[in-house]
Order: sequence, then C-alpha cells, then structure tokens
Amino acid sequence: MSMPVTNPLRIGLRQERVVPPQCLVIFGASGDLTHRKLVPALFELFKQRRLPSEFAVLGCARRPWTDEIFKEKMEKALSSQIKESPKEWELFSQNLFYEPVDLQQPEHLVKLGERLEIIDKLRATHGHRTFYLSVSPKFYGSGCRALAAAGLLKDPKRSRVVIEKPFGRDFNSAQSLNSLVQGCAQESQIFRIDHYLGKETVQNILVLRFANTIFEPIWNRNYISSVQITSSETVGVEDRAGYYESSGALRDMVQNHLTQMLALTAMEPPGHFDPEAIRNEKAKVLQAVKLANEEKPWECCVRGQYSKGGSDEDPLLGYRDEPGVNPNSTTETYVAMKLFIDNWRWQGVPFYVRTGKRLAKRLSEVVLTFREAPVHLFDAAGGCPTSNQLILRIQPNEGAEFSFDVKSPGSGMRSRPVNMEFSYDESFGEPSDEGYVRLLADAMLGDPTLFTRSDEVEAAWRLYTPLLEKIEDSPWELPIFPYESRTWGPTESDLLIGKDQLLWRRP
Amino acid sequence: MSPQLTLQTPLQLPPAEIPTYLEQLWSHDERGDKGANTFCLIVWQPAWIEQKLVKNGKISGPILGNQRNDLIEAAREIILKGDLPNSTSPLDFRVQSSIQVEELIENIEDLRGQHIDTSISNLQPRRLITIAPTIDKENNLETLVAAYCPLPEESGGKTACGDVIVLRGNKAAINDGLEIVENLVPEELPSWLWWNGRIDEAPEFLNALSLPNRRLIIDTSLGEPIICLNLLLQRIQSGQAVNDLNWLRLRGWRETLAMVFDPLQRRNALDNLQKIDIDIEGSQTVQGLLLAAWIADRLNWKLESRISSKKDQLKVNFLRPDKILVQVGITSLPIGKPSINPGQIVGLRLIAKANNKQKSDICVILASESGECMRLEAGGMARMELIEQVVPIQKNSLENDVARLLSSSRGNTSPLLESATPIAKEMLDLVNQAK
Repeated sequence: MSMPVTNPLRIGLRQERVVPPQCLVIFGASGDLTHRKLVPALFELFKQRRLPSEFAVLGCARRPWTDEIFKEKMEKALSSQIKESPKEWELFSQNLFYEPVDLQQPEHLVKLGERLEIIDKLRATHGHRTFYLSVSPKFYGSGCRALAAAGLLKDPKRSRVVIEKPFGRDFNSAQSLNSLVQGCAQESQIFRIDHYLGKETVQNILVLRFANTIFEPIWNRNYISSVQITSSETVGVEDRAGYYESSGALRDMVQNHLTQMLALTAMEPPGHFDPEAIRNEKAKVLQAVKLANEEKPWECCVRGQYSKGGSDEDPLLGYRDEPGVNPNSTTETYVAMKLFIDNWRWQGVPFYVRTGKRLAKRLSEVVLTFREAPVHLFDAAGGCPTSNQLILRIQPNEGAEFSFDVKSPGSGMRSRPVNMEFSYDESFGEPSDEGYVRLLADAMLGDPTLFTRSDEVEAAWRLYTPLLEKIEDSPWELPIFPYESRTWGPTESDLLIGKDQLLWRRP
Repeated sequence: MSPQLTLQTPLQLPPAEIPTYLEQLWSHDERGDKGANTFCLIVWQPAWIEQKLVKNGKISGPILGNQRNDLIEAAREIILKGDLPNSTSPLDFRVQSSIQVEELIENIEDLRGQHIDTSISNLQPRRLITIAPTIDKENNLETLVAAYCPLPEESGGKTACGDVIVLRGNKAAINDGLEIVENLVPEELPSWLWWNGRIDEAPEFLNALSLPNRRLIIDTSLGEPIICLNLLLQRIQSGQAVNDLNWLRLRGWRETLAMVFDPLQRRNALDNLQKIDIDIEGSQTVQGLLLAAWIADRLNWKLESRISSKKDQLKVNFLRPDKILVQVGITSLPIGKPSINPGQIVGLRLIAKANNKQKSDICVILASESGECMRLEAGGMARMELIEQVVPIQKNSLENDVARLLSSSRGNTSPLLESATPIAKEMLDLVNQAK
C-alpha cells in the first residue's frame, strides 16, 4: 500500500471559522485573477464547508455575459479541480451569478443594487456584501465612489470593499486614494489585500517570534548583525509587460510584499492578538524604516534588468526583447537595497532586501544572521568561523532552518556549521491553503489582521517615494545594471552588500 | 470573566404583550439602533438538579442554570452517599432522582435566562429566549422581558444591544407558551436552539423548538445512547445543522491522535492497525462510539461483525480496505471521580502490526490528563515501538463551548460528525441485537 500524502486523520480537523451569510461581488469578473485565484479559492472554501448555505458570488464586468456564460467560463477554467470533485462543483456553481456592470455608469450601479436585493431574497444573504475590486488600479477610487453613490457601502456592519495591489504609485497618490476611499467607507470596511500575508509561512513569523520564549530575547541589535529578505522569481515578465513597464520591481514587489515581511520580522510584540494591535505595531516599525543613505540613495540601492540567457536549446529573451516592452526600457526587473530601522531594537542593524525576475531560483525567505562569537576558541573547518543563521523559508519548501557550529569529528577541536531543519510538509499531515483562500475568508469574516491599514500603506510609500522620484528625475544616478537571465542579479548588488563584508545567501 | 446580568430588572408581561413591548423598546432608541444584527438563541434550560438542590437547601440560590462548582460538589456528595456507582457523572439523571425531596424552600429567586455568560454575551446575540421549566407542579406561565447591552471587552470592541425573554412555568404552562416563541424569533436572523438538557427528557418540546431551518446544539452525553444517536442521525440526514457538544469535547483526542501520525514515517502504520481499545468513564457510550466511528470512517473501514457485548464492554470487528479485520473495543471503567459529562474517554490504545514497510509493531497510547488509563499499558508491549501522548483535559465551561459553536460553525454540521454518526449508530445497533 502506498504511503498517503495527507494524514487521513488530519483531514477536516482544523477548527476554521465559517463565513457569515454573504454575497461576494467581484468587479473584473471576466479577468484573469477571478478564474485563476478568486473562484478557485472560493471553491476550496466551499469544499472545506467554510461557506454558509446563505452564500452567493456575483461576478460583474463590462462583458454582456449571463449567469450561464459566467458559470461555463469558470467551469472551463477550473476543469482540473472540478474533475476531482464534480458533485461539489455542481452545488457550488448554483451560487454563481453574473451582472454586466460598468462602474463608470451610474445606471449600472442602480441595476446592480436591484440585483443584489434579489440575490439577498433568493440566497438569504441578509444584505451582507463584500465588494472585491479586481479591476485596473486606476478604477479603485472611482469604483469606490460609484459604490458609495449607489448607497452600497452605507451600512458599515454589512458591506466591505477589498482592494487589490498596487494601492497608489507613490506617497502622494496613495494618500489621495486613501482619503478618497475613506470618504466613501469607514476604514473598518476597507480591506487592502497583500496576498503575501495570506501565506502560512509569513504568518508563522509572528508565531515563531511571539509563541516561543527562546527567540524574542535575542531578536535585536545585541545579537543580530544583519537581516536579508529575498523574493526571487525564475520567470520573466510573461504577459504582464503592459503593467510591469509602468511599475517595475520596486513598486510591484518591494513596496508591498517585501516591506510587509520586513514589518513582521522587525515589529515589536503586540499586547494581544488583535487586528488593530498588530497593525499598530507594523505601522510603527514602518514609520521608523529609512534608506541606509537618504542623501545618496545610489549608495544603498541597486537596480537591474535581465538580459538574455538560458542555453542554446532553451534560450531566454532579455527584458527589452519581450513582447510589449519598450526596447529602450529603463524599468527595473531587479532591485536590492539596504535599509535601517531607527529604533532601540534595530539601531545599526542593516536590513537588505532584494527581489528580481529571471533569477537563478524561485524563493522567498528571511535570513537573520547573528553576531559572531566574541572570541574564536576553535579552528573553523571551513577556514573562517561562520555566524549562526535563522532562515525562515516562505516558499518553496516552507519551513525554517537554523545553522550553528558543532565539533567536527576527529581528534582536533575544529568547528563546522550544521543545519537544524523544520519543514511544513514533513511536520504537518496536510497541505497549507493557498493565500487567497485565507484572505478571502478573512475579508468576508471582517477580520482585518492580514490586511494593510492606510497608515501602513502610506508609511511604506513614504519610505520609497524619494527613491522613485530620484529614478524619475535623475535616472543616471540610479542606473539600470543588466544581468544575465537565471543568475543572481547584477554584480553591483554583490558589491552593495560586500561593502559590509557580507554576502547574499545563495541557497 | 464573570457572567452578566441584564441592565434592567426584567419586566413580567402577559405573553401577548411581549412583541409590542419589544417593538417599542427598539423604536425608542435615539440612535435608530434596531439591536445587534447577529442571531437569535433559544435555550432549553431545565437545570433540574440545580432546582432540586436549591429548593432542598443543599446549595444556595438563586437558580442560575449554569454548572456552578457548588452544584457539582453537592451532586458528587449525593453520588457518594447514595446507592449510585462511584463512576456516575454529577450530571447523570440518576442523581436528580436520588435527591430526596423533603421540605422545600419556597420563593427561591430564579435567574435563568437573565444571567448571561460573558462568552455568549460577547457574541452579541440579538435575542436570547430561555425556556425554563420548573419542578413545581403549580407554576403557571411567567414571561419576562428585558434589554441588555454586553459590556465592551478590554480590547475595546463595539457593542450592540439585544434583548432577553424568559418563559418560565411547569410543563403544561411551557406547552402553552411555546406558541409565542416562533413569533419572537426574528425572521431575518439565523436562529439556534441550545437543548441544554437530556435529549430524551421532553421529545415533544424538542421537536416543537428544533424547526428544520434552526441550528441545533445538543449534548449526546446526556440521554440513552441509542436515543441520542437516533436523534443525531435523523437530524443530520434531514439536512438540519446539528452541533454536538459531546463531539466537540472529542477534539483534543482527534487532534492528538492525528498529531501522532503526522510525521511521514508513521503514516504507514495507519494502514496496519489491527486493534483499538477505548476506555470510557461510566456507561454512556456515545463519545467512545463516535471516536471509533471517526477513525473507521477516516480509514475506510467497514463494520463487519459483533465480537462480544457485555455490560461493561462492547467489541466489534471492522474490515480494512485490504480485507484484514480490526478489533475495536469500548470498555466502561469504574472511575472514582468522573468528569462532569458522562461517558468521557479516558484512554485510547491502537496497535499496528509490522509489515514490510513497518519494521516493528507499533502501539499508540493516548491517555487523558486524568491519568486513569494505565490499564492500557499492561502487558505484551515490550517488543513494540511505544508512542504515548497525554490528551489535555478541556477546561472550557459549557457556555464557552456553546459560544465556540455559535461563532464558528454557522449553519453547518461538521462533515466529520456527519460521516461518523451513521457508523456509530450502526455499531450500537449491532451490539444491541445481542441483548
């Protein structure tokens, strides 16, 4: 008999919270995100019985689809999942509805309101609605305004808006968008999504830090010498050239995902596990982050762009040769930078963050490097003593590892590093949910813990906006360094960290 | 956290006037607040043992309807002094019958339904309707009504107010009062019935109150096992959302057992299980049956045959997917100081035989924190790989467990309970055939 991948006794044991009666309204329902992430996540929630019987999904987009067409499209997109559970799909798809809506047309919103009333009666959803704006970022503000004008956000207890990234393009635009959105709904109704926060391992940073007594006493400048936060992808820009050209790695990854990981790693312990207490601490630490050299940002930031690479059999295009990309583009596909946090805990500890496309490996991780022993009593087998490292692996092979020195076997007293590992796959009898499953459920439950608050978003943009302005106003000061596809980025990035006698971790 | 009383002394009104009074109560709110937009909870709250103990002067009043410490202690004393076996749970119905009704204290204050545990009031129920039957034959129907506002938690949560209604009286009076209950349940909100008594004590009231669209909370440790499982199965099959507190209390056992087999290297042993022994307190077998049924369902075993059926032990055979028999036994143990709830599991032993993938036999023993199941460690295991775990006793109050259900399982029966119940019922039927 083959060994089961999932522990059969583990299935269904999680005490998950069940979503209250709800109608989820997805704007941009004909788009990619809806069939790739949102509806699969909802179907997963349905299979886990975390959706109540009083539930409906109303897809909205400009295309003149009907309920049946929407169901067919979703069925086609989810065919592989449906194959495994056809009966469940049959039941779930009864909850799918569609309404053609152009958010810029007030009469469409009136029709939408009427349709929602009908769904409320049909599905007993009691007027509880979550509006998910999976539309182009330029419509976030006007979308919220249209919903508010139609009276669809007036009940703060029953209506919420979920807004996808990017929330703004810089500090000013984020601030304007915040004030516009907050003019339409209360902050408690606004859920700014960052799908990285839905990852089990990102949430585990909090548990690891605050559920164990061994880490927190050494989680500070006295014991930690540096922190590296990496998120690397092996893929290129693929079919997102249009968006990516106007965004770049800094806006696409650093301002949101990497900064959120930094906030969770560096924040102070909250008084209790409460959404506002956690978000207060995150906002506080973000307000204390600064570029390592604000006067000369080129000293602490390196931008890169992938050039061609691969092999003769499998050649890879350079960024500027990708379809839809300007052949003279100066958009960065790689960025590495050094940051400091101006507070008692982290004063003087460099935080290095890097992200890039077409790098050597796909991974996300946080690496905490501890200070060296004050006196080296033993010869190191590798020539020089190594620092202890705690590595929190966000993806793939989710887990953590800790490296420390032990005596190398033999008659001498030589030390060498070994690793102590924890892997989610091996330690738990069931796979983790995809990030959107957790976040969609939380949004419908009204739990904002894993969503970013307005002050967090603004603090993150405030940090990077001077850099973005410099790139725009005097790009020669922050030039683009090319790097070969499927390598670890430009040499200049190694020099950035090398100035501090450190190396990037290359797992 | 201490329980909360309603903000005002409840008004005693004729039943017919209650709907109008409630309408006025909310229409006078200056903020236009129509009360919490949450749920309505109907509670069947007989508190028979408490009523008798208070009226007998064994414990002091008022009657509150919760599992207070002095009540449990007094019940234990009655068990020790009376003819009941020591392993009788303090909530067992036999305790109630053995309380001697001598001189009754009159005019005891009855605060059932007005005394809201914080774990429940934190959920801000829109309406709490308590049905409080009395042991006095003379009591006519009394209906009380009051508004309440939960105090905000330390973290500064927002409050939304609700109201409480109490229907009190003897059996006939309650029967008359049931008519108004349905008019008092807000149509637009989900409603729950918490049957906080023996499942078999008033079937006519249970049927009348647990309408198909109402979410039901029961406790299958209270009542004849066959009646409890029949009701559970029947309600699940009818599509009603059923939550069983007895099943909820099993979660520590399910979680600990799953944890034992989480490491990949042990996973194979699940395919090779050959013997399971479950020890329970006293003779109420439902929790033991549900645990065995859950394991059987998860591992795709089919019930095969009865091995034996004695007063204190039942044994059956299951058939594994590879056609090998697994022996499952449930043994009632005479425990000195049993838990509050009847029939709770105190020990579980699983034995998996070695095969080509698994080098030695494995014996898994899970013991309740109460430490009553050393029996399972006796003999023959020297050559086995022994895995022992202690299952922590759930220290949650009854109200905490109910609050957990109210906040987490909206409208759903646990799929695991749904699958385990028919198997548990089938096991009991098979055993009962021999009697």
